[in-house]
This record gives sequence, C-alpha cells and structure tokens, in this order.
Amino acid sequence: MIPSFFRILVIGRNTLVEAVRQKVLSVLLIFGLVLVGSSVYVSTIATPGLDAAGLFDEQIKFVKDFGCGAIGLFGFAIALLSTAQLIPQELQSRTVYTILAKPVRRAEFLLGKFLGVVLLLALAVTLMSLAFAASLYWQETVGLKYAQDVYDQHMPNWQNSPQLVSQYNHDIQDIVSKVQDPQLVEAILLLFAKLVMTAGIALLISTFATSSIFTIITTFMVYLIGHLEGVARDVWLARGAETSLWQSGLAGLISLLVPDLNSFTIVDEILAGNHVPWVHTLNLLGYAEVYLVVLLAVSIIIFDFREI
Amino acid sequence: MEASAPSFAVETIGLTKRYPLAWKRKLLVALDHLDLQVRPGEVFGLLGPNGSGKSTTLKLLLGLAVPTEGEARIFGLPPDSLEARQRVGFLPENPYFYAFLNGDETLRFYGKLCGVTGPKLEKRIEELIDLVGLQNGRERPLRSYSKGMLQRIGLAQALIHDPDLLFLDEPTAGVDPLGSAQIRDLILQLKKMGKTVVFSSHLLEQVQEVADRVAIFSLGKKVLEGSLDSLLAEDQSTQVHVPGELTAEQQEKVRLLLGQAGITSQEIRFSRPHLSLEQLYLRTVQGLPAPTPAKDSSHS
Amino acid sequence: MMSSTLPLSRRLRRAALVALLLGLWAPGKILWEQKIAHEQDFLRYHGVTMSRELRDQLGQGLTIGVLSGMRSVVADFIWAVNVTLAWEDEQWFRMSGLINLCTTLQPRAATFWDIGGWQLSWNASVAAAEDLKQPNALRRLRASRFWIEKGLEIYKRGIENNPQSWTLWAHTGLLYQQRLKDYRNAAYYYQKTSELPGAPVFYERFPALMYGLAGDDQAAYAAWKSLWERLTPEQREEKEHWKEKVESNIHRLEQKLSVPTEKRIFPK
Repeated sequence: MIPSFFRILVIGRNTLVEAVRQKVLSVLLIFGLVLVGSSVYVSTIATPGLDAAGLFDEQIKFVKDFGCGAIGLFGFAIALLSTAQLIPQELQSRTVYTILAKPVRRAEFLLGKFLGVVLLLALAVTLMSLAFAASLYWQETVGLKYAQDVYDQHMPNWQNSPQLVSQYNHDIQDIVSKVQDPQLVEAILLLFAKLVMTAGIALLISTFATSSIFTIITTFMVYLIGHLEGVARDVWLARGAETSLWQSGLAGLISLLVPDLNSFTIVDEILAGNHVPWVHTLNLLGYAEVYLVVLLAVSIIIFDFREI
Repeated sequence: MEASAPSFAVETIGLTKRYPLAWKRKLLVALDHLDLQVRPGEVFGLLGPNGSGKSTTLKLLLGLAVPTEGEARIFGLPPDSLEARQRVGFLPENPYFYAFLNGDETLRFYGKLCGVTGPKLEKRIEELIDLVGLQNGRERPLRSYSKGMLQRIGLAQALIHDPDLLFLDEPTAGVDPLGSAQIRDLILQLKKMGKTVVFSSHLLEQVQEVADRVAIFSLGKKVLEGSLDSLLAEDQSTQVHVPGELTAEQQEKVRLLLGQAGITSQEIRFSRPHLSLEQLYLRTVQGLPAPTPAKDSSHS
Repeated sequence: MMSSTLPLSRRLRRAALVALLLGLWAPGKILWEQKIAHEQDFLRYHGVTMSRELRDQLGQGLTIGVLSGMRSVVADFIWAVNVTLAWEDEQWFRMSGLINLCTTLQPRAATFWDIGGWQLSWNASVAAAEDLKQPNALRRLRASRFWIEKGLEIYKRGIENNPQSWTLWAHTGLLYQQRLKDYRNAAYYYQKTSELPGAPVFYERFPALMYGLAGDDQAAYAAWKSLWERLTPEQREEKEHWKEKVESNIHRLEQKLSVPTEKRIFPK
C-alpha cells in the first residue's frame, strides 16, 4: 500500500515540477492577477450619490465577484489545458514506456499524473486567493478611510452624539465583516472542488480520446451541460406524458453521468454576504470527492485497456 | 511448471501479437508464435530488419503490451507483474525521458519509482554517474544532452535498481565508435556480474563481439536461433593461426605437409589476418602506435 | 494490474465491476443531488432558473456566462456599466428595466434591490418632480409619485427575496418616512429592522419617534414603554441604548397623557 502511494507521490511531484518549469503557472497567473486588478478598477465605477455604506456595499460586491470569477475562470483554463495534454503528451513522447517498464502499475501512473494536476491547481488557487485577499484588504482600507472622511466632513463633532458614534461603529463593523468574512474560505474551497472535478472529467475523456483538442472541446461541453444537469434531473424525475422518449432518455443519461455543477454556484450566495453553513459546504465537497473517485476508477479501467 | 527457481531468465511460449488495422479490416501480425529461451547470465542478441518483430517482442517482455496469444515469463513471472519488472532494466531505443529534468534528477526519479531511496539511492547515483561517465552533464537538463549522453543516462537509469535482466534496444545506435566500444565493454562487464542481457541491434559486427546467442527475426517470425559459434562456424574448414609471416617457400612446405596428411584441396589459402576497421580506428583515436601497413597479401 | 494469463476475461471482470459501481453510484448520485438542491432552495429562497424571457434579454454570449456560474459577474457587469450610464442620462425607464434584470439574475444580492429602490424612489422621483419638460405641476407630482411607487415595489420584492436583510427593511421605512410621509408604515418597517441581527441599535427607537411624528401619542407612549421594558438592566446602562432619551420621552408622554401616578414608569 505504502510503496504504491509513494510511487504516486513521486509521479505527482514530477508532474508538478514539469508544469512549473514549463512556466504554465506564470503565464496564466499574470492574466489572473491582471483580472483581479481590474476588479479593483471596476470598483472605481460607482453609482454616484450613494452614502458610504451603500457605496461600499456596491464596490465590495464587484471586487468579490470579479475576484472569485477570475479565480474560477483561470483556474478552469489551467485545469482544462493541463489535464487535456497530460496523458497524450506521455504517449506521444513515449516517456510512459520508460515509466511502465519500471515496477509501476498503470493505475499508479494515472493517479500520479492527476495528483500533479491537483497540486498545480492548489498552488494556482492559493496564489490567486492571496492576490484576491490583498485586493479585499485594499478595498477595506479605502472603505474605512472614506467612511471616516464622510463622518468628519459632513457631521462635525459626531463623536459627541451617541447615536452617531453608534452609527459610525456600526458602519465600521459592517465594512470589516464584509471583507473579513470567514465564509470566503468556503467559497474558495468550493471553487477548488469544481476545478478538480473539471480536471477529473478531462482526465477520463483523455484516456480514450485521440487528440487533446477533442478532450478540451468535450470537457468544455460537459462543463456547460453540468450547469443544466439540475434541469435535466427534474425533467427525468418528473417525466410525464408530454416528454418524448428520447427527451427523457437524454435527460436520464445526463442525470446519471454528468455532475450537478450548478450547485456550486452557491458561491454567489457566499459572496453576496448571505449565510451558507459549513455543513452544506462539506456536503458539497463530499459529493465532489465521491464523484471524483468514480471518475478516477473508470479512468483507470479505460487506461488499462489502452494500447500504448 | 517448476516451483523452484526458474531455469530461464526469459521464456516465451507461442507468443503472438496481432494488431487490428482500422481501415483495412485485416490483422497485422507483429509477432507470430515466438518460442524463445534466454538462460540467466547469457548475452542474447535480437537481429532482424525493421518491422520484423524485435520491438514487439521487447514490448511484450516488458509488460508494455498484452499478447494476443501465448505466454511470456520473466524469471518465471508474468512480465507485467511488479516482481518481474523489479528485476528488469530497460534502455529504450530513443531517449524516452523527461527533457526538463537534469541527469541527477532523472536517476533520482526512476530510482524512487523502483523503490530505491535515501542514502542508498544517492550512493547508487554516484556509482552510475561514474560508470557511464556523465560527470559534466549531471546538472544540465536532458534537453541539452547529445545523443551519446542520452544513451549513457539511459543505461544509468536502466541499472539504477541493480536489475538481474537488461533489455537494451539498439544500445549503440547513433553513438560514436569510442562510446560504442565503452558500451560493449559495459555489456561484457554486466555479464561477468552474472546479469542477463538481451539486446537488439543492427550493427552486426558488434553483436558478434558480445553475444553468446542470437535470434534472427523476419516478418514477425523467429527464423533462426542459436549460439554464435554454432551458427557462424563454417563447416568443413579449419583455420590455423601462425605468428609471423610465411615466405612463399615456407607456404609450399606447409602445403606439402598437409598433402601428406591427406588434405590436397585446391582451396587451401594463406592470408594475412586483418584488423577490423573499428580496431584501427580505436587504436588511432586512443593514441596507440599504428600498426605497420602490410604489403599486399599473396594468394597462391 | 494486468495478468498475461487470460488477460481478456480479467479485464472484462474489472469492467463489469465498474459497471456495477456506476449502477450503485447512479441512484445515490441522484438522491444526493436532490438533497443538495433542496438545501440550496432553502438557503436561497427560489434561486433563478433559466427562463425564456431572461435568455432573450441577455443574448447568447451572456447566456453561456450565466449558465457557467458567472451569473453574479454578468449581473455586476451590466450594473456597473449600464446603470451608471442610465443615471447620468437620466433614462429612468431604462434604469428600471436594468434593475429588474439584475435583480432577476441575482435576487439574493440585497445590494441590487437596495440601490435600485433608492435610485427610483429618490433620484428618479426627484428628477421627475423637477422636470421642466412636464407641462404643469400636477404632472410633475404624478410622475414623481410614480417613481416612488416603483421604488417601493422594488424594496418590497427585495424583502421577499432577502427577508434577513436589515438594510432593505430600514430603507423601506425611510422611504415611507421621507418620501411618503406615512409614519405608521415607517414605524412598522423600523420595528422589523430593529428585530433583525446586524441592524444598528438606534433603530429600536425609531418606531416610537415615527408614532410621535404621526401625532399618535398613545402609540408613541406604548412603543417607548415596550422598548423600556424589553431592555435588560445591563442594556439600559449601555451608551448605545441611550436611556436618557428613552426616559425623557416616556416622562414627557406620561405627563402629556396624564397617566395615573401609580402606573407611571417615571413619575418624577
């Protein structure tokens, strides 16, 4: 068992090193950072005439949405592109021969390569999250200063009025709680889970695909369909007289195979500041994990069949 | 089936591999019912033109492909089992290694996959770098290596886990004669260590120098197999080696002597043994004194 | 791990195992997804699904974005660019449409309802009241009133979708108070505001103040009294509850209403 895990780890680490040395990370990261920066820029487009609290609400929403959107988008690009060429690259350059000539199981090889991609995604998401946190902190600083200015300029001697002091403290507390929201950790974890699932789907398709392009396009389609899986599921479960046979068949097929990616958009709720309990997040993460195990199991079986 | 130590390092029984051709609705028979035995400690050469089944045989013996029919065994074990592959080292024909790793990292990577770790691995890496002579390349990425260096790192990684059986696919292809000779010497050294070596090559002279036994393949079939001595020895003739040159008179006397012994054939020949071109080259390049050029040899 | 002895049947056995695994996983998957969806409905209160009109409004490209979970980014983008432009050009009907769009895209973002309602009830209605293109004062008044009603509608739908958002309740109260001069409704909304977690403390005093503005001393007195009785002794001492204000108001009203001495909280 342990030597097996060790071999998977060795291959995983090697895959990560390859990605890092081939500067995969830096190119996409630059764009990721640019986008996070642009979210800060967008936050300068504000609805005129708002009070400090309203203004902050609006701007922090932009920063959060754009920041997480960027993490999701560029994470998706990394997940998709890295995984799609993972196996084809090994087969084309035949480096797989040298590895499988050693006492390494095909399953260990596949899992090791996938582990490398997961590590790469974890690294990328962590770095992007740090940039995101920095942009949030910057927004908080700006917001606090602006609130202070508004009070000082429009309500002189506000410190003497208990009501105004209470209001000020409340505004400050509001700003801080919107930025230092522990639920953002949940959001990042859910985004990461979604990315790993995407990578898993790409891996499965790449085990039987003939070209990387095919893998990329098909995974992209499955990703889109995954957001409609809930609708398909409802259609299939409630199949009545109006649904034709092939409609309910298609809906059924989608429901059985494709994951419900739309349930991960609960991240929007978290970003809007609404309460999403950890229990629910852990539930979703568990779902992603189990689905991933199924994906990997099927990938291993298919890869075992493959002539190299 | 013997339960004790197997008597062959490599054994195949009716090993067959057929590939379906997608658009021709025919089957490509890459290997047709191969029966082969390699004894432990042998150096075995696989010969044959491209497409004759040598590579397919290697793939099947390494567990990289699954036979359509028949069976292969490595030390009595299935080739795709972990135990078998633990005892096997493979030098691929082309450098199927990661170009972004340097020499040390490559050996460390493959070593770890073979279960060699820690200080033992580091020691082994030092030994092998010395053995193959890659001191000045170990810190550079493989993509900057010359063909010769790639062969050397290839040999090193094949040996990293001290295997009992080595498969070398065209080990001297593209290597200069000096390096080629070094590889040849290495093979003999491995043989002395008791290892079994199976290698394929197009360079027939080299095969002749190291192999104990060879098999010749053609169109997926093994056509000929046997020890070099038995295969190459010409029947019904004997060579006599005499140090020094014989004058024409002395040659006549030898003929008379042979005639008295009952050998009167017209095909008795006297000739000067030749250096091979390789030997001349090596001596020249290594700075040894060149042998004096011979006068034209006489045929009588 | 493959075995070279009878490889095909071993693989087929494994494939059958996988088929079995998938067969067991499939119903579990469906049930799990249903559970998650149910939980999320509860958390969101009717999250939006793609309806036909919405898709027409957005166009193909944005549809993909919404489908792929970029719903909030799309809504933000539309908001940031278009709503501001509409404000600058004073195109209030266009803005109203955009507010509807963004709130439909992301009904659980209280911000859109909040700022949207404010835009209409204040900015739009004030602009309409000062709109010199209207022929007479009556028209201006009606236009102004129209936008206030529209804004109120937004606030109320916002509250339906986000009942926990204290700002929506508070700003609705403010709307009733400032724009409609309807102090009783204002009092109701301020009361609700003060009951929600996260609301500033001073909202607890507003209902009573509103009743006072409405001229209803009895109701005002009842409100002040019930506030006083709700506060614990520790809370009364906290600065933010401003006990002096509460005290003085109760005292004043007890005097004004001639409450019998024994029933007074602050007889002196």
